[in-house]
Amino acid sequence: MSDQHKHAPFLIGRRQLLSGLATGLMLTSVPRARAQSRVIVSGGEAAPLPIAIPNFVGGTPQDGDVGVGVTQVITNNLKRSGLFAPIDPAAFIEKVVNIDAAPQFQNWKTINAQALVTGRMTRQPDGRLKAEFRLWDVNTGQQLSGQQYFTSPEYWRRIAHIISDQIYERLTGEKGYFDSRVVFVDETGPKERRVKRLALMDQDGANVRYLTRGADLVLTPRFSPSTQEITYMEFGQGDPRVYLFNVETGQREIVGNFPGMSFSPRFSPDGQRVVMSLQQGGNSNLFVMDLRSKSTTRLTDTPAIDTSPSYAPDGSRLCFESDRGGKPQIYIMPATGGPAQRISFGEGSYSTPVWSPRGDYIAFTKQGGGQFSIGIMKTDGSGERILTSGFHNEGPTFAPNGRVLMFFRDPGGNGGPSLYTVDISGRNEQRVPTPGFASDPAWSPLLS
Amino acid sequence: MQLKVDKTLVASIALHVLVLGWGLVSFSSKAFESVPEESLPVDVISADQLAKVMAGTKSGKKENPKPLVEKIAEAKPVQENVGKIAEKAPVVTDTAPPPEPKPAEKPVEKKPDPPKPVVENKPKEEPKPVEKKPDPPKVDPIAEALKKEEKKQPPKPVHLASAAQPAKQKAERVYDETQIAALLDKRDPSRQAVAGEALNSNAALGLAKGKAADNSATWGALFKEQVLRCWKKPYGGIEATRLEVEFSIKLKKDGTLEVMPAAQTAPSSPFQRVFLESGLRAIIECAPYKLPQAFFEEWKYFFPVFDSRDL
Repeated sequence: MSDQHKHAPFLIGRRQLLSGLATGLMLTSVPRARAQSRVIVSGGEAAPLPIAIPNFVGGTPQDGDVGVGVTQVITNNLKRSGLFAPIDPAAFIEKVVNIDAAPQFQNWKTINAQALVTGRMTRQPDGRLKAEFRLWDVNTGQQLSGQQYFTSPEYWRRIAHIISDQIYERLTGEKGYFDSRVVFVDETGPKERRVKRLALMDQDGANVRYLTRGADLVLTPRFSPSTQEITYMEFGQGDPRVYLFNVETGQREIVGNFPGMSFSPRFSPDGQRVVMSLQQGGNSNLFVMDLRSKSTTRLTDTPAIDTSPSYAPDGSRLCFESDRGGKPQIYIMPATGGPAQRISFGEGSYSTPVWSPRGDYIAFTKQGGGQFSIGIMKTDGSGERILTSGFHNEGPTFAPNGRVLMFFRDPGGNGGPSLYTVDISGRNEQRVPTPGFASDPAWSPLLS
Repeated sequence: MQLKVDKTLVASIALHVLVLGWGLVSFSSKAFESVPEESLPVDVISADQLAKVMAGTKSGKKENPKPLVEKIAEAKPVQENVGKIAEKAPVVTDTAPPPEPKPAEKPVEKKPDPPKPVVENKPKEEPKPVEKKPDPPKVDPIAEALKKEEKKQPPKPVHLASAAQPAKQKAERVYDETQIAALLDKRDPSRQAVAGEALNSNAALGLAKGKAADNSATWGALFKEQVLRCWKKPYGGIEATRLEVEFSIKLKKDGTLEVMPAAQTAPSSPFQRVFLESGLRAIIECAPYKLPQAFFEEWKYFFPVFDSRDL
């Protein structure tokens, strides 16, 4: 027995040893298992990828600053995604001076980097900015990606976002979402006399632009697929109305001229139509308006409040909120109207459904148990998943890749709401920096 | 100035000194003996690896066809206890409780003649016990039948310790410690030696050296533990399908990579490519590997499979 124990991995009984030996015999009978074993490596936590992003070098000495800026934007984007762990530049051993030569990978291995980004920004004689980058796999020494772009110098941030998307896509297998914008309602002033303005910013909170002056209350802005237009609801002199706003020209117009209140508009995926709610007495129904012909089509006709419509990415179906069953719940129906099917059946009430650009999930605000939660469910109502809960969380909007949600959170008290992002698994919640209080975010599609 | 000394105090001090002094001398003279334990190689393996180690197979080839033989005599092999559980006979011992009279006929067969008619009658009476006693009908009819039999003192069924039995039952309530010895099994301890033509002291089916450690659960677990430290598993989203990518690795004796590891799986999706690359990076980054030299022949060339499953 003791002789056998010397070889046994741990103390086991004779009988167990016996069966263990039998397994050994069994394994040897498989021809391949004898000489070349398969070793299963499973488990392990999903971990952010350690990536080194040394400052992009300047083609000329003046370009050094923009190189540093681009590097910071990329680093910040990748870090905020939660899937990358950018390494502190203080740890770098090698200083990248020439991106055309392969880096000394051993120097990057030493600091445990698994990926390395090198790049260069060069001002061209014609005034344009040339951006080049290479993405390296440190362990295999392979170049995974390499691109160059030309742009006006003032768009250096967009270049940084585009490069971030390239890195993200190559290293995660998912499309990126960094080169995108967010329209939201900027809130300033005391709580009882809040000034609400439409504002536009990059997804990382930079380049904030105000689109309205704040004389009238604005709510629920939504991007058109081209990102050139925004539709929103505004409380003017009379009833609240749905407006269309052109981002480039600053012009705005009322969508349709209806007797009652019109609200919660959203573009169709082709950008040709706007679907919205129209008030009819104590109820509201869904209507769709063709932006070219201005013709309006009724989609629902119920003695209930139907609102918050959102198209599936293929434009074939709509999800919306309705209290026809007593409490607000999420329903799905064909985009041309017709029978609606309820998909939310949990405790509490569901509102503000929004269809993922990937088509796989519907995000919603759920109210119940004295809390407001943000969650997602599959389009058949299964697989409900609450991502965050609290005093007041509302208004989810999907990032262009359908992997991240933005929403607003009001902590209560005298403060105001702020914008947050969260991964659709509920991990990696991040606050989005805004100049003041902010609510009602809507994420644009990718700009490029 | 005169010092008044309490004699009892002096005596107390003297006694304490004596006792403590003796203790110091006698206890310090010999250190506690610690027998050095022989160390055992212990390896932490996962539940599925354990299951693989433990799983036996009926069709497995026997490497040691020679049966266990302890005594040279006419071949009388002890029956193998593997796979013959059905033939096992019930063990009857002195101390075993009398067989439970489950079927009604059983006691009848065992009983000698006199009680026979009684027993046969009893079951018939059973449906009527209500008349005699207010017993609930739950009462086991057979148990009652037995009780009645006992009252009538029928001859006991043939038991091995028949002589001692009746006496003991009468004296059941009386505790007599001098009689404890009577409870002991007085038979000589016996053991059947396995007889055969040639001595073979190895009782196991396998070889004496034991091949259990040879399977990959041991060095494979070592490899896994090391490579997991470098593996930055990519996050595949909430509905990620399970992925498996296989590599081939050739290692030198010092655990370094002999050649670049090669993927055996062709990636079919962007995420699978990312997953494959993450495994490749981990294998390269974690080299050299510290694996048991004894099994170099096995780990010099093997196939690690990276599985996206969480454990």
